[in-house]
Amino acid sequence: MKIFFQKESFLVEEKFKKFSKTNSTAGSIISFVGKVRPTNNKKSITNIEIEIYEKMALLQMKKIIFKLKKKYKILDFLIVHRFGKVKPQENILLVIVASEHRKEGFRFIEDLVDWLKVKITFWKKENYLNDSEWIEQKESDKKILITSN
Amino acid sequence: MKILYFAKLKQYIGKNSDFIEIKDNKRIYEVIDELKKRNKNYRKAFNEVTNLQYAVNCEYVNIEETVKDKDELAIFPPVTGG
Repeated sequence: MKIFFQKESFLVEEKFKKFSKTNSTAGSIISFVGKVRPTNNKKSITNIEIEIYEKMALLQMKKIIFKLKKKYKILDFLIVHRFGKVKPQENILLVIVASEHRKEGFRFIEDLVDWLKVKITFWKKENYLNDSEWIEQKESDKKILITSN
Repeated sequence: MKILYFAKLKQYIGKNSDFIEIKDNKRIYEVIDELKKRNKNYRKAFNEVTNLQYAVNCEYVNIEETVKDKDELAIFPPVTGG
């Protein structure tokens, strides 16, 4: 059960293989990968910069994991969230979850990623060729969390 | 008290933190009113960055919350992680 906030890129296949080996008796292993899109509102993205309030992010993450583990019966998880500069098509987020049955794993990932979108203290800025823009929180993301609580 | 700024707010203010002395407990909105008196960068930041969120010692709170000198106050726009 590990959480990493890191600047370095990572290989999903490598992480998945290792996690899968550690959890060889699990009936289900599910992964989610969030990536940087190459464009937004028809503007080409050069890279994105992710700023982080690490101390709060880690504390809040531990609290939501505690809550989700009480809600869903999961065996193990791995979360990797990058910060700093990330280029289009690179991975930003990886969540892998092991559980006895698939439904618990799918729901754990869905609830966690919905929560990350509106609660974890990370901020994304998109850099374009000639300018840059801080990404605004989507109303639709906020509504999902309110509904699911 | 240590005050941390993030993202657009940090960019407008031009730095990521401040230290201020609080003798008695204060509400967060009172702290912000004092910061706005410092210069136009603070006024621009607090007037133009909307829907600000607040955290005291890493817990989300609202603007009415009371803070004391030993606290760490963080002020930031809505987050965009994930």
